[in-house]
Amino acid sequence: MKFVDEYRDAHLGQVLAGEILATVEPGRHYKVMEVCGGHTHSIYKYGIDDLLPANVELVHGPGCPVCVIPMGRVDDGIAIAHEPGVIFTCFGDMLRVPGSRGTLLEAKAAGADVRMVYSPLDALRIAKQNPDREVVFFAIGFETTAPSTALTLMRAKAEGIRNFTCFCNHVTIVPPLKALLESPDLRLDGFIGPGHVSTVVGARPFEFIPADYGKPIVISGFEPLDLLQSVYMILLQLREERCQVENQYKRVVPYDGNPQALRVLAEVFELRPHFEWRGLGFISHSGLKLNDGFADYDAELRFPVPGIRVADPKACQCGEVLKGVIRPWECKVFGTACTPERPIGTCMVSSEGACAAYYNFGRFAREREVV
Amino acid sequence: MTDPLAIVCDHEHGCITCGDEAMAMRVVRVDEARALALCEAEGGERSSVEIGLVDPVTPGDRVLVHAGTALQLLELAG
Ligand code: SF4
Repeated sequence: MKFVDEYRDAHLGQVLAGEILATVEPGRHYKVMEVCGGHTHSIYKYGIDDLLPANVELVHGPGCPVCVIPMGRVDDGIAIAHEPGVIFTCFGDMLRVPGSRGTLLEAKAAGADVRMVYSPLDALRIAKQNPDREVVFFAIGFETTAPSTALTLMRAKAEGIRNFTCFCNHVTIVPPLKALLESPDLRLDGFIGPGHVSTVVGARPFEFIPADYGKPIVISGFEPLDLLQSVYMILLQLREERCQVENQYKRVVPYDGNPQALRVLAEVFELRPHFEWRGLGFISHSGLKLNDGFADYDAELRFPVPGIRVADPKACQCGEVLKGVIRPWECKVFGTACTPERPIGTCMVSSEGACAAYYNFGRFAREREVV
Repeated sequence: MTDPLAIVCDHEHGCITCGDEAMAMRVVRVDEARALALCEAEGGERSSVEIGLVDPVTPGDRVLVHAGTALQLLELAG
């Protein structure tokens, strides 16, 4: 497939790696954060790290929606799943995210009707097929996923479907970035901006990063050459002492995003005053809830939700990983007590999570480093 | 019964949940009245996709799909 192959050309990769090497100042250490979990996944899958000079470090940010769901919200989901008559639907990775008393998968084993779906539309279909049951959709994700939930809710409303509700955990990308930039233990030189979130929101919302914090950001695609080129564009900005929003992923991302998608988001959701992020704590205006027009479809209003805040397990250092303060393997339980099969922290659950990505693809590289 | 663990997204292809994972699919059939299209992935799997957020599509078009919704019409260079 041409569209993809031309972004995986090994020779071009080497050429770009050479240009990157020629751009960095020796003796300076560069820390670049990729915000998005999809990028983390690609970086490990294709070994992008290995192509970069030793003084260019990629740090993994909070862009995996599974990784940022706090334990208390998982517990709330499980409580709803155990309500009589409920069919609880969610994306696959969410099944294995540990709450304080187990996972949704374990709730399923204990008798709750928990089903995996690929889209909110699938969940709505289940509701139509089971008119005598209450179908709840566990909505998670950034602005990429939220329009899909919004459209499904609009559809449910238009069709008058009453047995469908949404347990909304959608989050927005800008507030956590602001929180990261404000955090004192963080030293970053630039950002690889999220590719697909930006198809919805565009590149414009990231302008505050250069304007207020003086750091470059390059919106990037997901293929190996996309990522290498984006790293190069960031390093070039740094060398030329520029800082701006650049769009490497122009073939997909319009600068202003997708106006129809933004319109449906505004029609269905409103910002929560604050929302808790795993490891990052409460961040104001960072989560979405259904607005009054869709109150009938809000699972938090239809079912009792414990809403108890649960501290992350002591051994877990996901917060530091999400902030890029430590690398995944520096967590004390990485690969021992915490593995993708038996995760302690959320970063180990989804393949987009920094720990799981590193565990699956990076572990051999690390072993090489050690010997 | 299928092993529930087996239905979890695999690490080779990434995670459907992910905020930023999206897939290029080809439009096979369009149901304009319901704003849905039958789309086909590279591997041949078909699914119905919401097309309300993109400009009108016709069979053969390629769209970027995330969580069952087309987010962008893909212009193929070359
Ligand atoms: S190894 Fe596990 S507990 Fe440690 S940061 Fe990663 S996911 Fe969290």
